[in-house]
Amino acid sequence: MKGQTWRFVVTGIFIVLGMIGFWNTLQYWTLSAGDKQKMEELKPGSAQELERKAMRLGLDLKGGIHVVLRVEKEKIEQSARGDAVDRAIQVIRNRVDFTGVTEPVIQKQGDDRIIVDLPGYTDAAQAENIIGQTAQLEFKLIESQENANLILKKIDSIVAIANKAKTGETGASRPEEKAESIAKDSSKAGDTTKDVFADFLSEDSSAAEGAILEGETPFTQFLEPFLNRPETNTQWPGYMVAERDRRLLEKMLAMPEVKRVIPDDVQFAWSTRAEIASAQNVYRLYVLKSKVQFLGKNLERINIGKGQFQEHTVDFRLSGQSAASFARLTGANIDKPLAIVIDNKVESAPFINSKIRNEGQITMGGSATIKDAQNLEIVLKAGALPAPVEIIEKNVIGPTLGSDSIRKGLVSSIVGLIAVFLFVGIYYRISGFIADIGLLFNIFFLLAIMAGLGATLTMPGIAGIILTIGISVDSNILIFERIREELHSGKTVRASIDAGYNRALLTIIDSHVTTLITAGALFLFGSGPIKGFAVSLFWGVTISLYTAVVVTKMIFDIRKGYKTLSI
Amino acid sequence: MFRIIKETHIDFIGQRKKAFLFSSILVTLGLFAFVMILLDKANMGIDFAGGTMIQGSFEQAINVSQLRNAVNAGGFPEASIQRVDRHDSPNSYIIRVKETVSGGEKAIDKLQRIIAEAFVGNKFTKDSEHTIGPAVGESLKRSARWAILISVLGMIIYIGLRFDFRSGVAATIATFHDVLAVLGIFYLFDKEITLLVVTALLTLAGYSLTDTVVVYDRIRENLRKFRKKGEFVSTVNRSINEVLSRTIMTSITVMTVVVILFLFGGEVLRDFALAMIMGVVIGTYSSIFVASPIVIEWEAHSPRRFK
Repeated sequence: MKGQTWRFVVTGIFIVLGMIGFWNTLQYWTLSAGDKQKMEELKPGSAQELERKAMRLGLDLKGGIHVVLRVEKEKIEQSARGDAVDRAIQVIRNRVDFTGVTEPVIQKQGDDRIIVDLPGYTDAAQAENIIGQTAQLEFKLIESQENANLILKKIDSIVAIANKAKTGETGASRPEEKAESIAKDSSKAGDTTKDVFADFLSEDSSAAEGAILEGETPFTQFLEPFLNRPETNTQWPGYMVAERDRRLLEKMLAMPEVKRVIPDDVQFAWSTRAEIASAQNVYRLYVLKSKVQFLGKNLERINIGKGQFQEHTVDFRLSGQSAASFARLTGANIDKPLAIVIDNKVESAPFINSKIRNEGQITMGGSATIKDAQNLEIVLKAGALPAPVEIIEKNVIGPTLGSDSIRKGLVSSIVGLIAVFLFVGIYYRISGFIADIGLLFNIFFLLAIMAGLGATLTMPGIAGIILTIGISVDSNILIFERIREELHSGKTVRASIDAGYNRALLTIIDSHVTTLITAGALFLFGSGPIKGFAVSLFWGVTISLYTAVVVTKMIFDIRKGYKTLSI
Repeated sequence: MFRIIKETHIDFIGQRKKAFLFSSILVTLGLFAFVMILLDKANMGIDFAGGTMIQGSFEQAINVSQLRNAVNAGGFPEASIQRVDRHDSPNSYIIRVKETVSGGEKAIDKLQRIIAEAFVGNKFTKDSEHTIGPAVGESLKRSARWAILISVLGMIIYIGLRFDFRSGVAATIATFHDVLAVLGIFYLFDKEITLLVVTALLTLAGYSLTDTVVVYDRIRENLRKFRKKGEFVSTVNRSINEVLSRTIMTSITVMTVVVILFLFGGEVLRDFALAMIMGVVIGTYSSIFVASPIVIEWEAHSPRRFK
């Protein structure tokens, strides 16, 4: 028959196309870790190359980081808001490129959001640093020790007054009670002192903290433990504060009364990261002159280096106007500390030894690691973001979790396939087996199309494939039940098969349309993983129209004269 | 021929009163759940409501209540804690809280601190974390609403093209019935409504409509043969019986795969699979006991086909 041949040719072409589409994926999926290593040894980058050609796996399967940022346009000048998001995307793209992550996705969402997907990258803190940092580099002078002390004293007295006023109201500050509450460290004993600071103490501050706030120096008492100690020796320019006390100080600094006594041209700033002193984590608190002395723009040849004490540094060069103004600044402040401020945090505050003309060095403060230095290098090279960004969603999927999901998906798919296979095969005998062949084709074409179209396979996507296995045999069930009825009514086998296919066709198409509608809607509005579900369900169901109807009919038609039918 | 279902002559239509009662309860529950969702009083997943999820494994086995107590006392009284089956690490847990920030600290950091303090000497390794700000939750809600709206519109248009008015209305009711029933049961058992659950609800809407379509197609076909007065009810009943084995067979295959998904698919897909399982059961029930009886009742009150 002419029609017969035609169907075989088309199916043959589909199979070849499917093979081409699926080939790289199949090759890559069947590689063991050892194979990959061997490939890399023979030809560096070849395994990665193959991975790129294979079906793309979503972050939920591959592991990686998904971040959604909101560009805080409201924090910048009106005139700069127009293209702020696009410029931010450019900067972030540059930064991500420096990290060497392969195939990152960086795209705009809505009018102020940016989606960043970093497949295979799982260092959350690092990613947050690289993506979320504005990286505004400023150089500021430090307030003189006398002035700083004056301000600190004022804060002490303001907080003490506020404290006393409230303690007076509640009338519960007998010394013995106080001592008791400090000693006991149970929340009940601390109640009386705690509610005094209820407006700025978080609910979980210990009672001891609340009690300790009393006295004449509520603020500076937290700086004292580290002052004038030989091993720390950091009275000035940065005061050391134990990590656990930091929040308390921040809250005091945020009190409106306290804000009033800090002069406009002075600001408090914390060190970027903690360091260890007297066997505990400490931060440094700096009292800076607010004025930006030098803005870290136009830096050239940014590179990681080493300082005089073998600490990590990020070195840069300056030229022209920038070099001149940097030279003026440093020349005028020899033997004074200069704070290197990045995003309002003090990286370090080294003393200026001599006039610096065109060669700068950012000393990494605290317990900075080489990674921190690399981060800074990256963000400075890529430049500052045009506006601060806020991370509004962050999803980190560890690689072990991804591989666990793949395993679960694979197990479910195989078990599901076998179960449906056996069920259909047993119930419909040889006809059922023919339906099973159709089902295999369905899965094969589905994977091929997804690989060929560059679709991303996600965990819900695997669910879509498994659902396809269940749903697509429905077409065959409809047909077979119809054939059985036709046989029952006394028709010949041939006539029953033809009638079964013909009569069930409309219902089959019908029944798939509804699924396609759902898949379409989910595709349009779904986010990453859900989109994966929509894609695999859509293609699975569409392909099943061909495989469950055309392919199985083709197999039935191979034999001409049926006397009986195993159904 | 191997048959699970032999030729049947069950009087499904005769059972319609009981079915209507049962369905009314389900639908009422579902409508209530729907209103609660609109009022923001339902148990919405962190993808809609915003919040923090952390998944990780302990080195040694732990006492779940100790974990729960520690997390609750640490400032998350409404935390949800779930054990995870993992072949490579037996002591895996998922903790979900509705906060992204707690006491001036990121919830994700605080949770890790609480766990480290509560389980000294038993290292907790984080496998995954997810923090979703409320703004993101809002936009996810918006896209979910759009997806629902578009699918409902699409299906109604399809039904309108495909059926006469009465069958169309009945099919729509049956489909909503199924979705609302599953939603209601989820609400009743305080299950989280997540993006994946919504996805499952939409998928099962499509599935249940398919089931109804198959029955209606057969009714339409049979009505051409039997056009005598008084035969409407018996024709409908006969049609349901005729497609019964198909309905059951398809339900079994789809049920098989979703149960497997439920058992082996892991935490991520469990609620999705659960919603699908319920959807298949209810969808099968409704295509037999709800969709056609509605048409019957309608015909009985205002006869059109057989006057």
